[in-house]
Amino acid sequence: MTDLHVLIAGGGPAGLATAIEAGKVGLNVLIVDEGIEPGGQLVKQTHKFFGNENFYASVRGFEIAQELLKEISNMKNVEILPESTVIGIYDKGIPVLNRETDRVDLLKPERIVIATGASEKFLQFENNDLPGVYGAGAVQTLMNQYGILPGENILIIGSGNIGLIVSYQLEQAGANVKAIVEAADRIGGYEVHARKAKRLGIPILLKHTIKKALGITQVEGAVITEVDENWQMIPSKEREFVVDTICIATGLTPSVELVSQAGGNIKYIPELGGYVPERNIDMRTTVNNVFVAGDVSGIEEATTAMIEGRIAGLNIARDLSKKIDENRLNDLKEQIKNFRSGPTSQKVCSGLQKLGFTIEREKFVEKNDDDFKKYEGKKRPIIECPEPIPCNPCETSCPVGAITVGENINSIPTIDYEKCTGCGICVSKCPGLAIFMIQELLDSNKAIIGIPYEFLPLPQKNDTVYVLSRDGEILDTGEVTQVTDFGNKSPVVYVKIDREHIEDARHIKPVTHSRNDYVCRCEEITVEDIEKAIDEGYTDFEELRRYLRIAMGPCGGRTCRLNALKILSRKTGIPVEKLDPGNLRPPAVPTTFKTISEGSEKNE
Amino acid sequence: MRRLTDHPILSFRRGKKITFYFEGQELKAYEGETIAVALHANGIKNLRKTPKRKRNQGFFCAIGKCSSCLMEVNGIPNVRTCITRVKEGMSVRRQQGRGEIID
Repeated sequence: MTDLHVLIAGGGPAGLATAIEAGKVGLNVLIVDEGIEPGGQLVKQTHKFFGNENFYASVRGFEIAQELLKEISNMKNVEILPESTVIGIYDKGIPVLNRETDRVDLLKPERIVIATGASEKFLQFENNDLPGVYGAGAVQTLMNQYGILPGENILIIGSGNIGLIVSYQLEQAGANVKAIVEAADRIGGYEVHARKAKRLGIPILLKHTIKKALGITQVEGAVITEVDENWQMIPSKEREFVVDTICIATGLTPSVELVSQAGGNIKYIPELGGYVPERNIDMRTTVNNVFVAGDVSGIEEATTAMIEGRIAGLNIARDLSKKIDENRLNDLKEQIKNFRSGPTSQKVCSGLQKLGFTIEREKFVEKNDDDFKKYEGKKRPIIECPEPIPCNPCETSCPVGAITVGENINSIPTIDYEKCTGCGICVSKCPGLAIFMIQELLDSNKAIIGIPYEFLPLPQKNDTVYVLSRDGEILDTGEVTQVTDFGNKSPVVYVKIDREHIEDARHIKPVTHSRNDYVCRCEEITVEDIEKAIDEGYTDFEELRRYLRIAMGPCGGRTCRLNALKILSRKTGIPVEKLDPGNLRPPAVPTTFKTISEGSEKNE
Repeated sequence: MRRLTDHPILSFRRGKKITFYFEGQELKAYEGETIAVALHANGIKNLRKTPKRKRNQGFFCAIGKCSSCLMEVNGIPNVRTCITRVKEGMSVRRQQGRGEIID
């Protein structure tokens, strides 16, 4: 490129959005991106985004990257240099390292945009450098960008949005998330993300932190402990988890190195994640020709990063080409203000205030008063949007205009059940998976519930599935009556359940056991369960008993013990008489403590 | 650690199968994968021995920011293997300490 107008460091959502705006007015733009494919962290985001339709609401992150890159590929004056890094900023120019050619070129653009994003916050605990301890982003890269599951049993540290999202994604990929550990006394991320994790049965342990990672050459376990009100570990409250992966999701810190090297002022603002550049509302730093956009200017999320990028791009267009759509620029500034006007943006806003911005609070609807019960028997959605977040795809996707979020995108939606046709599109579109379909079958004690289901295998009509509660407990089984696919990978699965469960049934899972040949009636243990446990290495009856709870039920093992021993004998080749039958413990029959305590000792 | 095939949201398009070497041992990878990713897919997370305390370390950030994945690639030390593509015939070794630069 002979005449370089704009150099953008970082090809994530902010950098790509900036490039599109600067490119539109004909400026020559070069995006220098470090990754092996551009798109930044969007490429590993598989969840649907919040926000509004102008900014890809309800579109999955990796698909947003594809759309932005497609737009750029049509612009001849915008070039992406992959596998390359801006290694410094000097008065004489900007050296760019190309890893592929192993060459450094000095570039002299008229404007620089630093959209370098953020890096993971590291957390201090014993053995935190052990292979198998990853940042949450690294887990996403492995799993969602390259399709490699880092482990089977995972412990997540931190309940912010990233920790909650990664937990859900790990389960989608088939891993087992043992727990999410959170040192604070409340969940850090959006309630809708927390609910998605909870109904998979993932415990969120508040006021807990990790004490150490266990293992010699790689992670084999973790010790966590409860913390008191002064964040001190309580030694008597330690617990051990057998995990092969520990995922640290305690936040991000802006990558401001280049801003500082360019001579821009940086300031420590904890609400924005650490050191952030001083900049004005147009995203210009304290150096006239240097702009910032996205996480580098304060940790937020990809939608605001894209808006910031567009604001920076439009200002550069004004600087260099004199072509500027002022209305559009003002509209973007209004949108970002609107976006940040809800309670979930309070932290960011107090950070921005420290940067000198005035934040006006706007009004939003805090709860809905939908007359859901009045329409009993009608197939209709129940909107469980628990907190005001900047999001409105339910409103914009409804084909009959029955759902209203209103002027402030942070408002809780309301629904007009008279207008609703029961199509279920809102269920599939809701990025928080917080809308469900319900229809009471009035001539029976049954009901149909429609669940947005993003897991494999996808149940088919007439399948029997487990119906799970909001906490992931099995409530009952139900029969699949219909599966509606809207082509966005969030199909809605309708299940016939007992009507008493409609308040609590919010997830389903396939019935995984293939046979119902029970050995232990009390603890519901099948031949298959025992054989699998023996194959896993539990070849001693006492071990099997503790692992499966076989012979530990109310009957004391009278029904199952011998049959279980026979299976163990068949699998191991050891005759039953040589196997240890384990302990035969009291009480011989179920007896209440009350009866025992009120009894007396005879023959004293 | 395992490669995912079926996924409810994603479809993984893998490149051509290639051969590379880790500590002399022949391993398979797909074109387009990074070195660190290919090693993970082969069950290897332990990427280097640290300079001072001789600790085993693997990668932490996977996007080229933390420098925990530095390895010796084709004799060259300090390669960020999380953002470097694996190539046919490449020789990868665990980096010992700060690595040695050979002319």
